[in-house]
Amino acid sequence: MSEERKFICVSCPLGCGLTVTLDDAGEVVSVEGNTCARGASYARSEVKDPRRVFASTVRVKGGKLPVCPVRSKTPAPKGKLFDITRAVAALEVEAPVKIGQVLIHNVCGTDADIVASRDLEAV
Amino acid sequence: MSERIDVLIIGAGPAGVAAGIGARREGAERVVVLERDWDLGGILQQCIHPGFGLRTFKEELTGPEYMHRFIQQAHEAGVEFRTNTMVFQIDRENNTVWTMNKERGIEALNPSAIVLTMGCRERPLGAIRIPGTRPAGIYTAGTAQRFVNMEGYMPGKRAVILGSGDIGLIMARRMIWEGASVEGVYEVMSWPGGLRRNIAQCLDDYGIPFHLKTTVTRIHGQDRLEGVTVAQVDDYMTPIAGTERYVECDTLLLAIGLIPENELSRMAGVDIHPVTGGPVVNDLLQTSNPAIFAAGNVVIVYDLVDNVSDEGLIAGANAAKFAAGKITSAMRIPVKGGENVRLYSPQFVTGEADSTIFMRVTHPVETACRVFAVTDDGTELYSQRLRYARPGEMNEVRIKADKVKASPNISNITIDIQPV
Repeated sequence: MSEERKFICVSCPLGCGLTVTLDDAGEVVSVEGNTCARGASYARSEVKDPRRVFASTVRVKGGKLPVCPVRSKTPAPKGKLFDITRAVAALEVEAPVKIGQVLIHNVCGTDADIVASRDLEAV
Repeated sequence: MSERIDVLIIGAGPAGVAAGIGARREGAERVVVLERDWDLGGILQQCIHPGFGLRTFKEELTGPEYMHRFIQQAHEAGVEFRTNTMVFQIDRENNTVWTMNKERGIEALNPSAIVLTMGCRERPLGAIRIPGTRPAGIYTAGTAQRFVNMEGYMPGKRAVILGSGDIGLIMARRMIWEGASVEGVYEVMSWPGGLRRNIAQCLDDYGIPFHLKTTVTRIHGQDRLEGVTVAQVDDYMTPIAGTERYVECDTLLLAIGLIPENELSRMAGVDIHPVTGGPVVNDLLQTSNPAIFAAGNVVIVYDLVDNVSDEGLIAGANAAKFAAGKITSAMRIPVKGGENVRLYSPQFVTGEADSTIFMRVTHPVETACRVFAVTDDGTELYSQRLRYARPGEMNEVRIKADKVKASPNISNITIDIQPV
């Protein structure tokens, strides 16, 4: 018996409706509804290892703003997102911060780094 | 005697920064961008989530990352920025721009051309009449976004979101990630205001209930918000008796639409379109005042920042051409919206260059349809098949300059979307 999963592609603003068919072993048999290659690879990843880019802020000492925006440089496992929110909430960095600066390596044992997403000068 | 400026740009958000680049690349000598904030980037500074620039950079950037790239390009192009500078008046007689800055005091600038790039504002609570009290805890989604992402404050612990514009959807996820709960998103229309992918990745991922044809009918609480009454609405958006439900919350976020910010445009005497709320422009992005150009969300509220930047580049380049005496023409062939067109921009086509008309449908079309442009003499200028057309997603009508030039007797162009 095969299984059909339907969801919206989040790879771009089009938001195509995807249908993925899986065989008994949980392997992807087909992807329908996508209009590009990104959609096909998103569909495969979404059923096997769903991931999202995480974006938040960290507290900053001595910066022109009290917080600095950060992101996971690459998509992180969806199931780990709440662990990541706590790790990021616990972090405080010192100004100045440079865009792209790695603030947490391999956050929560994932393969994703948390990096600053803007320059933030010291006061 | 004021200093010589070729192109003066008001607002250093995505449209203004791109306009600066466009003007310099077109050869304008002195290009100055004025910004009232201490920092450049406009609203994208607080849009820290990814989703920007896929078309321009072939990768999804956060708002600050997207602006970082454009600001670098602008510096390299020789664009001058003046921050902490407020424009408080534009004189319509001679296009004098009055600015205020702590160090420089009050100055009158007389540029050869102006680009308006002030962006838009959120519709506030006062724009919709909700009965009940007016306690603390009610914010526009963008205000809450600024609190959380730039100032380090959480607006509350238990939120209800009214309206399903993208900022509201993004803030729903943001509140969840910061440890708050989101009781639900309520949309008065029968379709979502924001992109489908934001419904998926911001609401569905976290099990946040999304209710269409439902609105907030009463606000409760004296000092602090304690809850809201929500009710379903009929096809005329009237609450249906008996469907009321009380939802406990301490925060109400409003994501009920954006309005182009045109106080200065009005002072400058440019014509404002009654439906878009932005300046009437031609495809050169020139307003009814030939020396004044406009681009981005000050003209019409776009879905994507990539479009805003593209329009900024065009407006800046044409302002530079005007400053050099290479453009005079104002408005030319009028564009009319067909039956299922709610709003569109530009409203005139010159045929001087290929151009794009951005439009939104009034009602969703969920079947195959086509978006097209046809002249009054029956010449088809554009036709493109679509799988659907939805009010929340802009459609584009691409007009080729040579097709316009080939029909010199056109007196108007109609754009529309119809099922096929």
